[in-house]
Amino acid sequence: MRKELIVATSLTVTIIVLAYVITLGSGLGPLFNGIRPLAEVYLRTTLNPSQPSFTAMSPEGVTAIVWDYRGLDTLFETAVFYLAIIGAIAIYRGVSEKVRLNGAGVGLSMIVKVVTKVLIPINIAIATSIALHGHLTPGGGFQAGAAMAVIPMILIIAFSRYLLLDLKISKEVALAFRSIGLAGIALTAFVPILIGLLSGVNAYIMQNQLKADASFSLPAYLGDALVSGSLILYNISEYLAVTFGFSMIFLLLSIEEDIVKEQMRGDGVEH
Amino acid sequence: MDLTYLLLAVVMVFALIATYLAIVERNLVRAVVYSAVQSIAFTLALYLFRAPDIALVYLPITVGIYPAAILFLIKKTEEVEQP
Repeated sequence: MRKELIVATSLTVTIIVLAYVITLGSGLGPLFNGIRPLAEVYLRTTLNPSQPSFTAMSPEGVTAIVWDYRGLDTLFETAVFYLAIIGAIAIYRGVSEKVRLNGAGVGLSMIVKVVTKVLIPINIAIATSIALHGHLTPGGGFQAGAAMAVIPMILIIAFSRYLLLDLKISKEVALAFRSIGLAGIALTAFVPILIGLLSGVNAYIMQNQLKADASFSLPAYLGDALVSGSLILYNISEYLAVTFGFSMIFLLLSIEEDIVKEQMRGDGVEH
Repeated sequence: MDLTYLLLAVVMVFALIATYLAIVERNLVRAVVYSAVQSIAFTLALYLFRAPDIALVYLPITVGIYPAAILFLIKKTEEVEQP
C-alpha cells in the first residue's frame, strides 16, 4: 500500500510541477500564443515560388524541415535507427527462421483472422497515403513505415510467423527491400552532385531547390502534381526501409526461444 | 481554445491513471497494456498540441510496435514480476 501511495504522489507532483513551469513560470509561456519568429521564417518560405533560393516547394513545413532545411540531421537519425537494427541482427546471427516446430503455428481464432484480413488492406492504404502525401499533409516516410510495420506484427500474432514464411517474406527478402530503401535515400542525396558534375553546374549534397550559387533544382512539379523535388523520393525510400527494417526485427523476435537456444548451442559457440 | 484545454486535462488524467496502473501492476503483460493505454492518451494530447506529425508516428510505435517487442521479450523471460 505504501509503495502505491509513493508512486501516485510522485507522479502527481511531477505533473503539477511540469505544468506550472511550462505555463505559469518562465518556461515556454502560455500555449498557442501566436507564431514564434523562427516558425514564421519557415512558414513564409516553405512553399513560396517567389523566393526560389529559400523555398522547399512543400506546403508541409515539418517534412520540409526534416528532409530539406535540416536534411543531414534526418540522414544521421536514419543511420542510428539502422545501426540499432543491425545490432539486433547481429545478436540473432546464425539463427535460421526457417526451422519449424511441429504442431505450432495454429494462430488465433477464426474471428480474429477474418478481422485481420479485413483490416490489412485498410492499413496498407493508410500507410501508403501517409508516405506518398508526406510532402503535402502531416506524415512522411518514418510515420508511414511505422504504420506499415504493424502489418507483419499483426500477421505474426493472428496467424503465426509461419504465414510470413509461406508468403516468402524471409529475413533475406526484408533485408533486400530495406537495402533498396537505404540505397534510394543515398541516391537521392547524391543525385544533385552527379547531375552537377555531368552538366558542369554547381550543386550540393541533399540539395532540393536551387540555391544562391547553385542553379540546379529537382523538379517541384510532375505534370500538375506537386512532388516537391527530393522530398517525395526521400519519403518513399524511408517508407520502404523502415517497413522492412521493423519487419525483419519481428521475424527474428518471433522465432521460438527453444529453436534459438538449440541453434546457438548447436554451433558450439560459448556466449 | 477552452475546449482544447479541457480535453487536454481529461486525456492527461487518463494518462496519469494508466501510468500509475502500469507502474504498480505485477503482471507484466497487463502492465504493457496499461502502457499502451497511456500512449493512446498521449497521442490525443499530441494532436491537441497541434503536432499531427508526431501523433502519426507515436501511435503505431507506442501502441503497436513497442508493446509487441516487449511482449516477445516477456514471453522469452517470465510473466510475473518477482517482489
